[in-house]
Amino acid sequence: MSGIDEVLARIGSQLKLDGETEHEILAEIRSHLEEAVAQARAEGLDEAEALSRAAARFGAEEQVGKDLQATHAGWGTADAVLAAALPVVCALVLRWLAFAPDGTAVGWQQVLSRPAFWGVALAGLLLPVVKFRRWRYAVAGWAVLWALTVLFAVSPALRW
Amino acid sequence: MAIHEQMRKGTTTVIVLNLLAEAGRPMYGYEIIQALEARSQGTFRFREGLIYPRLHEMEQEGLLRSEWQGEEGERRRKFYAITAEGLKRLDVELADWHTLAAAVNRLLGGEGQA
Repeated sequence: MSGIDEVLARIGSQLKLDGETEHEILAEIRSHLEEAVAQARAEGLDEAEALSRAAARFGAEEQVGKDLQATHAGWGTADAVLAAALPVVCALVLRWLAFAPDGTAVGWQQVLSRPAFWGVALAGLLLPVVKFRRWRYAVAGWAVLWALTVLFAVSPALRW
Repeated sequence: MAIHEQMRKGTTTVIVLNLLAEAGRPMYGYEIIQALEARSQGTFRFREGLIYPRLHEMEQEGLLRSEWQGEEGERRRKFYAITAEGLKRLDVELADWHTLAAAVNRLLGGEGQA
């Protein structure tokens, strides 16, 4: 394990976040340390001295890890839930557009001709992708709900 | 002389926002630290790692937005840019700061006395 890896391991030991967030945090700090080491090397220090200086200037790794944990705790989860919730809300609107409140079907071709249908469909997909860091949750939720919508349209007997 | 840690924490937001606003371009963490140290001629010296929690907080508050840049095989960096919300906050914080600085200077009998 290189010196930079050891620093990252000490920071990572304080993180209990989702994998994507931890990966991004550690990638950013790795980039910082690599640049600090490269600058020190350019100033004539050997590898060990350069790493030592970079680590010293970076500061207490455990404290940085704790601060990052405190900053991100709950945020990633909230972001993912919000991202996933938006397509669900849109799906409920779609259901209202696609099916009458009493469950009787509106013709599928009629639905496709409604601008509002496409507006909601695009908003439900694009907003989470653009606005949320956990956009993959939105895409996954969107895909599942679209599959259900198509399934119910093709097989009305499955509707509840 | 490096300024007291507690004072540094309270001023990080306005200093980073001001730097990014004046730069007029996104900057990455290491670059921000180097620029702040150079501008303050060493007075504003970070324990460098501590800027990242603050940058991430500011991003969550909507004051900054970030974007990874760098091609495959080269060093990738996370760049931060000030947002419209950040510019508004900067205006407020700068006004507060100038008011506070003038008041403290008056209390201490230094510059800023009317």
